[in-house]
Amino acid sequence: MKRDSRLTIILIIIVGFLTVCPVIMLVFGSFSEGLSAFGKFTLEKYIAAYTDPELPKIISNTVIFVLGAALVATILALFLAYLNNRTDIPGKFLFKVISITPMMIPHILFSVSWVLLLNPSNGILNLILKQFFGLENSPFNIYSLWGMILVEGLLDMPIAYLIIAPAMASFDVNLEESSRVCGAGIGQTLAKITLPVLRPAILAAFILCIVRCMASFAVPSVIGMPGRIYVLATHIYQTISVGFAVDYGKAAAIGMSVLVISITLIFLYRYLTSESEKYVTISSRGYHPTIIKLKKAKIPLFFILGLLLFILIALPVLVLIYTSLVPYSMVPSAKAFSMMSLRHWNAVIKDPISILSLKNSLFLGIFGATVGVILSLFVAYTIVRIRTKMSGILESLSFLSFSFPGIVIGIGFMWFFVRTPIYATIWTLLIGYIATYLPYGIRPLSSAFVQIHRHLEESSKVCGAGPLTTMWRIIIPLLVPGIVSGWILMATMFLRELSLSVVLSRPGSEVLAVQILRFSGDGLWGRLSALGIIMIVISTTLVALVSFIGAKLQPAIK
Amino acid sequence: MEIRIKEVSKYYYSEGKTIKALDKVSLTIPSNQIFTLLGPSGCGKTTLLRCIVGLETPDSGEIIIGDEIVWSGKNGINIPTEKRGLAMVFQTYAIWPHMNVYNNVAYPLQIQKIPKEEIRKKVEKTLRFVKLEGFEKRPATNISGGQQQRVALARALVAEPKVILFDEPLSNLDAKLREETRKELRSFLSKLQITAVYVTHDQIEALALSDIIAVMHSGHIVEIGSPREIYFNANHQFVADFIGRANLFKAVVKAQEHDKTIVSSDIGTFVCQKREFPVESKVILCIRPEFIYLKKDRITEEETTGEQNVISGQIDNLIFIGEAYEGEVRIGKEHLMVKLDPETSLKKGDTVNLVVSSNHCLLVSA
Repeated sequence: MKRDSRLTIILIIIVGFLTVCPVIMLVFGSFSEGLSAFGKFTLEKYIAAYTDPELPKIISNTVIFVLGAALVATILALFLAYLNNRTDIPGKFLFKVISITPMMIPHILFSVSWVLLLNPSNGILNLILKQFFGLENSPFNIYSLWGMILVEGLLDMPIAYLIIAPAMASFDVNLEESSRVCGAGIGQTLAKITLPVLRPAILAAFILCIVRCMASFAVPSVIGMPGRIYVLATHIYQTISVGFAVDYGKAAAIGMSVLVISITLIFLYRYLTSESEKYVTISSRGYHPTIIKLKKAKIPLFFILGLLLFILIALPVLVLIYTSLVPYSMVPSAKAFSMMSLRHWNAVIKDPISILSLKNSLFLGIFGATVGVILSLFVAYTIVRIRTKMSGILESLSFLSFSFPGIVIGIGFMWFFVRTPIYATIWTLLIGYIATYLPYGIRPLSSAFVQIHRHLEESSKVCGAGPLTTMWRIIIPLLVPGIVSGWILMATMFLRELSLSVVLSRPGSEVLAVQILRFSGDGLWGRLSALGIIMIVISTTLVALVSFIGAKLQPAIK
Repeated sequence: MEIRIKEVSKYYYSEGKTIKALDKVSLTIPSNQIFTLLGPSGCGKTTLLRCIVGLETPDSGEIIIGDEIVWSGKNGINIPTEKRGLAMVFQTYAIWPHMNVYNNVAYPLQIQKIPKEEIRKKVEKTLRFVKLEGFEKRPATNISGGQQQRVALARALVAEPKVILFDEPLSNLDAKLREETRKELRSFLSKLQITAVYVTHDQIEALALSDIIAVMHSGHIVEIGSPREIYFNANHQFVADFIGRANLFKAVVKAQEHDKTIVSSDIGTFVCQKREFPVESKVILCIRPEFIYLKKDRITEEETTGEQNVISGQIDNLIFIGEAYEGEVRIGKEHLMVKLDPETSLKKGDTVNLVVSSNHCLLVSA
């Protein structure tokens, strides 16, 4: 017992340091004169930040962008989850693909691929349409609020799907059947029973999407900034990185309200998910949901599913491969193919900063995820197994970072690290990543822990095995699936991390996503695409490799 | 090995309330007997078992296994579970899904770092004992519930412990299999020189398996005795009511004869088993349905000896449950549960005579 509470305290200190420190620094910094966090107390930064004449426009952009994208994501996810769980649509394995691929394709590359397709001056799709219909002007302009909403919505859809689909799958079908018995039709039942029962899950998905959109930096920077459409994230970025008057305090003052809204929403999300677990009744009997026969709608719906998959996965990769090979943006044609070469690839391989960022990102992905998973392992154990008031505090603390918008919290970390010798090294990124993405490691591990019945551990003790032997021979082998998925989640997120990195990365500690952002700013699309493909190949290989090792490690469990 | 439990208490705190899971429980479990802790859920039986094995820490008291104090509040002794050298079969069996049957059973020996060849021999012998030879290579999740249960038993027996603990091991099996396994378990355990502590809420299981039963209720041991003593001669209303089914009536002691006690109740005057209650004291009269005989005919002279109580009533309800009829007989304002032969010709509304032997009229304190 003593051992347990000592462990809890140590973890509270570590996690508290990781999550509370940057927030405190941010608060101090926003009230402080000058560039440091501990200057004289002042309200100037807040006054400057909130009297900015551009702010109302930025806020209205942010609201439209965030709500629009979250709505697109949630509705798409609901549609897909319903199709997968409740209809006889063919090709159900495709849904699994939809839920895991966003890990392989970084958000910034997805955004760039849409810019390459739909930008008004030389977007490939625009060029094709102009040529085909003999148009004067480009029919589409991605550099708009609509473009941002569409791309961000597609990017966040898998997250919403991962929340809605399990709720839909564990839905007790008796609830629907009794409604049918009472005389309601399929449509009425859907409206009066199914959707209301799933409401907490749907709302939770929507709220999580809002938080993610608010923290999103890839889409606003790649699509929004060229169109001069600023949202809060890009506004903050501009305040700290563009022009002569870099003002961290002012950025922090704006960031504070983003952070407060995010934290509020995340705790609302947590409440809703615990509600939805209460709501959804999982029957212990083996259950078979009534499958709705789609009949004539089968083919068109399957076509829509295929189209979504194409848009989400194939299209960005194809566009990037194509762009990495052609000398400049052009319509795919015989001429374009004849001009293909590897010169962008050569340029990337010879670019020392690209190579450095590749090395740094790989290190952060592999080493960072390993450290992160080990920390998550202990935190998950404490939350699930020890279950005291103290471990409740730990749970809330570790949940806090779920809400962190990278660019805001990055400023807090910067103020913190500037006083330490590791400032401007790769270690600041490592610590920042782990702090910001800790919940992504804890979540799969704690649900894995929940599934291991306490008796399995206890019987090992009764058999005479000490805590370490029990850990090594019983707990770890049973946790392998959780460890693998936690590691994959963290590694892929670290590998593509952008919003925290744009604040913390300095010469010498460049990472892939920041380098890609730089290429995009300079319009070096060819090099960007080549580096992007390398990035995708690396994450895909990592995911495949670790899944394979995980499957090897535990042959007995299905 | 004998287990002695001295004034062990364990409290839980939830939502500002203190729950006494164990309230100064003292108990001696004799060696080489099957000792059952029986009680409704929440009575503290599982907590007591987990305190013995060390998975739960009591708040005060002392637990001694054999000659060793494994837990003592005042002396600050707390031998960890893994050093207590006990064996346990869990309710969920706790079969490790990532190991095959052989490795599950061999685990306790592997922990002791016994030579491999010896482990193999012992595991083989134990698997033969529980009738699972040939299952060594099977993944532990790929066998039936009853087989998993026997793997758990084999794992508990393989290291030849002096004490084995059972935490409701049969409750996850279906009714038929439970009965079979119960018999098997009884024969396995009686072949071994081993102290078994068995926790269950199922009274039939307890009666069928045990040498001694301790009935628990809200953190206390209410009564200890052999199955027959508990069934026929319970001293407490709770025990009489919990074991089997019982009709309970308030009664007042009217007279004490040399081997009988006479009471008066709402359903009449009864001659009962002798109990030393003072005359005019309030007691509870307890009659089990299976010892009430129903007769439609008039009662003959021989049947109304001083040993028999006869009352008349009307059948209010009859339910056929296969092996018998369960009935309700109304006597005045009171109802009495009775059990009838499945081939009975009696039917609802019949007026009947009820005959109960005085040996089966049990008095317990009110």
